[in-house]
Amino acid sequence: MAAPILLTESLNLFYGNFQALKNVNLSVAGRRITSIIGPSGCGKSTLLRVFNRMNDLVEGARVTGRVLLDGEDIYAPGTDLLSLRKKVGMVFQRPNPFPISVFENILFGLRVHQLAGKSKDRLREIVKESLESVLLWEDLKDRLNGLATNLSLEQQQRICIARLFVVRPEVLLMDEPCSALDPLATARIEELMQELKKNYTIVIVTHNMQQAARVSDDTGYMYLGELVEFGATQKIFTTPRDKRTEDYITGRAG
Amino acid sequence: MPSGRKLKEIFFETAIRASGVASIFIVGLIFFFLFKEGIMLFQTQKLSGFLFGKNWYPISEPGEFGILPLISGTILVTLGAAVLSVPLGIAAAIYIAEVAPPQSKEILKSGVELLAAIPSVVLGFIGIVTVVPWIKNTFHAPTGLTAFAGAVVLAFMAMPTIVSIAEDALYSVPKTYKEGAYALGATQWQTIWRVVLPAASSGIVAAVMLGIGRVVGETMAVMMVTGNSPSMPRGIFYPVRTLTATIAAEMGETVRGSDHYFSLFAIGIVLFVITFAVNMTADLVVHRKRK
Repeated sequence: MAAPILLTESLNLFYGNFQALKNVNLSVAGRRITSIIGPSGCGKSTLLRVFNRMNDLVEGARVTGRVLLDGEDIYAPGTDLLSLRKKVGMVFQRPNPFPISVFENILFGLRVHQLAGKSKDRLREIVKESLESVLLWEDLKDRLNGLATNLSLEQQQRICIARLFVVRPEVLLMDEPCSALDPLATARIEELMQELKKNYTIVIVTHNMQQAARVSDDTGYMYLGELVEFGATQKIFTTPRDKRTEDYITGRAG
Repeated sequence: MPSGRKLKEIFFETAIRASGVASIFIVGLIFFFLFKEGIMLFQTQKLSGFLFGKNWYPISEPGEFGILPLISGTILVTLGAAVLSVPLGIAAAIYIAEVAPPQSKEILKSGVELLAAIPSVVLGFIGIVTVVPWIKNTFHAPTGLTAFAGAVVLAFMAMPTIVSIAEDALYSVPKTYKEGAYALGATQWQTIWRVVLPAASSGIVAAVMLGIGRVVGETMAVMMVTGNSPSMPRGIFYPVRTLTATIAAEMGETVRGSDHYFSLFAIGIVLFVITFAVNMTADLVVHRKRK
């Protein structure tokens, strides 16, 4: 296994008095897909939102322990949240393209980080590249000025993935990215993930065990805020060491 | 024989329907009488002379009924009020909906509601004792009773409408949009400017239009501070008179059935058309965006 890109060390997270993550030690390897599975409300999404510090937006959320991205503690005082979120992109459960044009959705990241140059041709080039990488360019090249919110859900989710690329992130966090999509669209997004893993490190949260088994290289099982077991996906699904993992993946619990 | 429950059902259905029909019927009646009286003016006056005439001398012999000065006065005061209240109102709405901590949010919201509850005559009175002398001293105008004073006072009347409706619009922007923007590394201001405002734009336009509608129709406060001069306005620091103020000021002293009397109703029609147009525009914008 390659050197970990993301690493948590005795990570605890509290919402007020409620402890949502309990002593989580996880290491995510670069250019692989790591999936986090487990029943609802067990801290999967919370863990994901630790990595881009989206939990900071929740009032009363408190973190102890360390979270290292490329060896740097992202919870160290003075961490630049904006550049952290540039490095660590996130795809949400419900596709959430902005209610502006497809073109501007893609360029949003460049604009907020003030990286957008002036040349219109160059911008179009960038939009083209990022839409091509999610296989939307052919479908949308004549509709770049249309509202992104009018597209199909699958296309919207692809836009949400594509808009991350323009700021060249290292890690893509996906929070149940297919839960609003039908099975065919899900299959196509999964295919896309295999393609993306060549260039990006992906962490995906899913409550769909088949999906985790299909797409990921490593899998972690979370239960009640604990990372119960973590390892190669194949091992987790065939020979889990922990009884709780076994109960969950065989459908006896959860 | 229908049962008691069924009878009750029929009774309530009829009562509710009657209330609905009554409101439409009453609006229809208002239309009818306004037009019936207003239209009489045009037996003796030309429509073009009425709308574009520059002289409002309703009690000379023969009277002149050009309402261009009054329309200009209304437009001047309304635009002035809009220029003052729209940016302030939207900014206040953004602050309340997006930035303010929960406690001050509640205080601000009740403050805005309180502003809406002030009777317009009281605002006019405050205008006379504060705004008017301030204008006279600051801008060295011969009198403080000017279009600008009207604009300032009316801006305060439009503000609550704009703030509360725009705030609702901002508040109903889905949280997922904001999350998406923050997750891409946008700052709070970038999120507001690039995502929240575009998402709420139709509601904000509606808020502005309803605020302006309120300004156009306002009478009492504006009559007290604009100086009541029905001549062509020469600028924002000169006395003017609005359409509404003209009706209010002159209705009491006109002879029923005279051209003067009819002309005031005709002004009512013009006012009605203006507010109707403003509201329709707001409606159209809101519905087009929803599609």
